[in-house]
Amino acid sequence: MGPKKETKEASASAKKKDTSAATTTATASAKKPTKPTGSATTATKVVTKERKEKVKSTALKAKQRVVRGNQLTRKRKIRTKPRFRRPFTLRLQRQPKYPRRSVPKRNRLDHFAIIKYPLTTESAMKKIEDNNTLVFIVNIRANKPLIRQAVKKMYDVDAEKVNTLIRPDGEKKAYVRLKADHDALDVANRIGII
Amino acid sequence: MTRVKCSKLRGKKPDELQKQLEELRQELNTLRVGKVTGSGGAQKLGKIRNVRKSIARVLIVTHQTTKDNLRALYHGKKYKPKDLRRRKTRAIRRLLTPKEKSIQLRKVQRRQWAFPQRTFAVKA
Repeated sequence: MGPKKETKEASASAKKKDTSAATTTATASAKKPTKPTGSATTATKVVTKERKEKVKSTALKAKQRVVRGNQLTRKRKIRTKPRFRRPFTLRLQRQPKYPRRSVPKRNRLDHFAIIKYPLTTESAMKKIEDNNTLVFIVNIRANKPLIRQAVKKMYDVDAEKVNTLIRPDGEKKAYVRLKADHDALDVANRIGII
Repeated sequence: MTRVKCSKLRGKKPDELQKQLEELRQELNTLRVGKVTGSGGAQKLGKIRNVRKSIARVLIVTHQTTKDNLRALYHGKKYKPKDLRRRKTRAIRRLLTPKEKSIQLRKVQRRQWAFPQRTFAVKA
């Protein structure tokens, strides 16, 4: 009984040493020797066990508080502004488990679809000779930068500027003025208009 | 140029198919230019239709092989892309599955086991 008590006290005190609960240790240690001496031999065992458990639990709680941070009696945040702005929260990127479309859509407005055919009217011919421009009928959904890229890809020429208009019959006409180092006449010969 | 046949196309690799597609498209371009400039004549104009349909065939074959490969890839997986799932109708897709429909109460299961439909026969 004696040595058992001593070992229990030793373990309890060792636990107490881990925590910073100074008050509980003082009262517990003070209470511990008095209680068992006051009661009978059979009762002392029960009391010491209960007492020990209580001490253990308070000590453990204190240790947990220290580790986790006190959540029960937290300090309120001081707010210095009357407005509450939505705080920044974690925004995760999408990580889909499957692509919605198995095959991505193919680009229907590629170079071949943009330029339909060159114009070969008299005024278009005049433009080729005098202004170094080529005239194309172009997909109506094409815009100037796309037209520029398409011409570059198809005919290997750089455009200085592109002017577009929509004809009354619903087709888009593009005047593509070539850069000075290209000759529209040569390019036209190469394409097949002339 | 002879007509492009689908059966011949299916054997080809995707790179080859892409190249053929490019070639056909270039040809179509030149034909269209020829149409505008007035050169060629009836034969060239007739060719336009052939080329257009050939382009369509190449695209069909490309798309079909891609889709088949993808279906094989996703076969048996839990999550498939939506266009590889069965289409049926919207309502049918939202119905209870056969397993979900066959779920019964424990009580009902017990009752069926304990009191099944009995058949009687009169001895001749």
